[in-house]
Amino acid sequence: MLKIDHLTKNYGNYKAVDDLTIHIQPGEIYGFIGHNGAGKTTTLKSVAGILQFDQGTILINGRSVVEEPVACKRDLAYIPDNPDLYAYMSGIKYLNFVADIYGITPEVRREKIRKYADLFELTGDLAQPISAYSHGMKQKLAVISAWMHSPRLIVMDEPFVGLDPKAAHTLKEMMREHCNNGGAIFFSTHVLEVAEKLCDKVAIIKQGKLIKAGTMDEVKGDDSLEEVFLELEAE
Amino acid sequence: MLWVLVKKQINEVFKSYFFDAKKNKMRSKGAIAAWIIFFVIIMVGVLGGMFTVLSFTMCPPMSAAGMGWLFYLIMSGLAIIFGAFGSVFNTFTSLYLAKDNELLLSMPIPVKTLITARLINVYLMGTMYSATVLIPALIVGWIVNGVTAANVICGIMLYFIVTGIVLLLSCLLGWVVAKISVKLKNRSFITVIISLLFIAGYYFFYFKANDIIQDIIRKADVYGNKIKGSAYVLYLFGRIGEGEWIACAVFLAIVIVCAALIWIVISRSFIKIATASGKVTKKKYTEKTVRAKSAFGALFGRELAKFTSSPNYMLNCGLSILLIPATGVFFLVKGGDFCKAVNSLLPSRPDLAAIALSAVASLLITMNNMAAPSVSLEGKNIWIAQSLPVNARLILRAKAALQFVLTAVPVLFTGICFMIILDSPITVRVLVLLFSLIFTLFMSLFDTMLSIKFPFLDWTNENSPMKQSACVMLSMFGGWILSMVTPAAYILEGYKLGSEVYMCIACALFAAMSLLLFRWIETRGAKIFASL
Repeated sequence: MLKIDHLTKNYGNYKAVDDLTIHIQPGEIYGFIGHNGAGKTTTLKSVAGILQFDQGTILINGRSVVEEPVACKRDLAYIPDNPDLYAYMSGIKYLNFVADIYGITPEVRREKIRKYADLFELTGDLAQPISAYSHGMKQKLAVISAWMHSPRLIVMDEPFVGLDPKAAHTLKEMMREHCNNGGAIFFSTHVLEVAEKLCDKVAIIKQGKLIKAGTMDEVKGDDSLEEVFLELEAE
Repeated sequence: MLWVLVKKQINEVFKSYFFDAKKNKMRSKGAIAAWIIFFVIIMVGVLGGMFTVLSFTMCPPMSAAGMGWLFYLIMSGLAIIFGAFGSVFNTFTSLYLAKDNELLLSMPIPVKTLITARLINVYLMGTMYSATVLIPALIVGWIVNGVTAANVICGIMLYFIVTGIVLLLSCLLGWVVAKISVKLKNRSFITVIISLLFIAGYYFFYFKANDIIQDIIRKADVYGNKIKGSAYVLYLFGRIGEGEWIACAVFLAIVIVCAALIWIVISRSFIKIATASGKVTKKKYTEKTVRAKSAFGALFGRELAKFTSSPNYMLNCGLSILLIPATGVFFLVKGGDFCKAVNSLLPSRPDLAAIALSAVASLLITMNNMAAPSVSLEGKNIWIAQSLPVNARLILRAKAALQFVLTAVPVLFTGICFMIILDSPITVRVLVLLFSLIFTLFMSLFDTMLSIKFPFLDWTNENSPMKQSACVMLSMFGGWILSMVTPAAYILEGYKLGSEVYMCIACALFAAMSLLLFRWIETRGAKIFASL
């Protein structure tokens, strides 16, 4: 589903991501862990086609993000760490805008909006301008818009920040359902307990370099993910 | 504590003098000094100077006619209008919708101290604007009528009375503005309409001011007697400036009582006002059948929604949507005389009026430049456009298309008006319309190109990319120069080709440049946008 090979991204002299290789298979929830400034967001943005990188390749379903960006973006959805959405639109206008871009028929979009907005208890607020939304509501709207076009790969940067416990639980269930249906999820998080319970695989990144990756059991063994992470960070 | 709060608020009002929002950092000491000098020149030199000249025009004849009180009444009225309108938006933001209300209320600051600080701020701002009118008027009055203890003390008291009235009006108008901004539906359009009416009113009085002043001076006794007969209170008010003690004491007492009342009313309702969320009544969502749009249609709709949601965007970059058809109507009424006058100006240049009207249209077209700041306005939302499965060229096409559509429709109307009034062969008239439409297309693409070449995404205030960005400046000044190229070249050499051939060449040139710009936007421009 997603093949990142030897990804390198520099900001001037600073190497934000250094020769990173990660492969994600269909059905996998892949967690991406690292301290602030480790290179997580840069990697995720590169996968989403927002950021141009210096070396390496990123393939989504066998297609290069660099050579076929539009086709790749059709197959994925991206949710940033801070969902800055169009404040001048209402929630429903934003969802219809995204649906128009992805060419979703009115019937399908109505069904999806109904389903996911109800799940996140956002239906009553869809007519409100996004400028009146709280951070959590914006996050919910970003999640709904990401799920609307049934992407195969979903890339999320800190998706649980700002969500209330119920919404966070709903999102976890949606993530699992998405992967059970053959999709894949690549997301970053600082909440190691969530990663431990939710992820099939995990990658730990430090100063732009991948320091450990694999299935959850391979990475943590008999310890907790937190213990392993702190140990690796201290090295 | 009170001083700290007042200082904080004054810093907020003048923060643009100390802080560069565009670069998101403090200005250098030199830049701060330059901005302060500029401010002083504007307030004292320009505004103060303007009202000094006005006072010297009005005061001597009125005082000589025994109507000195009318002079002080008029100048006090101007000071009140100037002070209240000048500080109304400051009142609105600092008193009713201050962003730091909750923060300050959470600190150990007595609420009364907070209100007093807010009101002092409003008072100082109003006083500053009123001073540019009333201080020159009082000084001129003392020069013309001589200085006595009565007129000096009463004059100073008049200044305090006027600033007290300004405070009253500022609080009232600020409250109205706050209500409008919070409650009103379609407030973007209403803000634009009110702003346009204000601008139109300003220019109307600006052009009529001299006639009005001359009329008042000429008929000072007639107007004076009418006011004295029907509104004796106003007569008494004017008499303060002449040193009338009793009038001074009465009005001073009224203003003090009113100011105290304001303080009591605001202090009782402050917590409610300060902690109001400012949110409109919650709209209920009802599911509606929607019609699917194409990707381009969705992107165009997004640009239109952005444009219509912001009064500043509409006023700064879309004023010609109204000006172009208004000009068309104006020329339908008065255009015949204009064409005759222009054609007789240089008889050796055939159809000069047609070329001149093309230039008029071009100038107006350049004032619609909503595409110029459009890339910058993506700001922090740019990730959405960049992560969508559409080619960047489609996004840029939507930006150019918005400007083209919103300008071409009024241009079409005005072009037809021009065709009606022009006394030229039909081919020339059609070419005037065609040229205007091609120029509209050219400017839409030109502004889009500038928007890509000079993006400014890290703004903290939406007004910065609309008012201060390089792309908007270049669009405006570049557009003006380009508008003048066609008539200038015609007057110098182009007339030798004949108006029809010349206009055909001008159309072809701008069409060719549009094509080049379009190709650049579709290729290089799209790449730059994708990598922003």
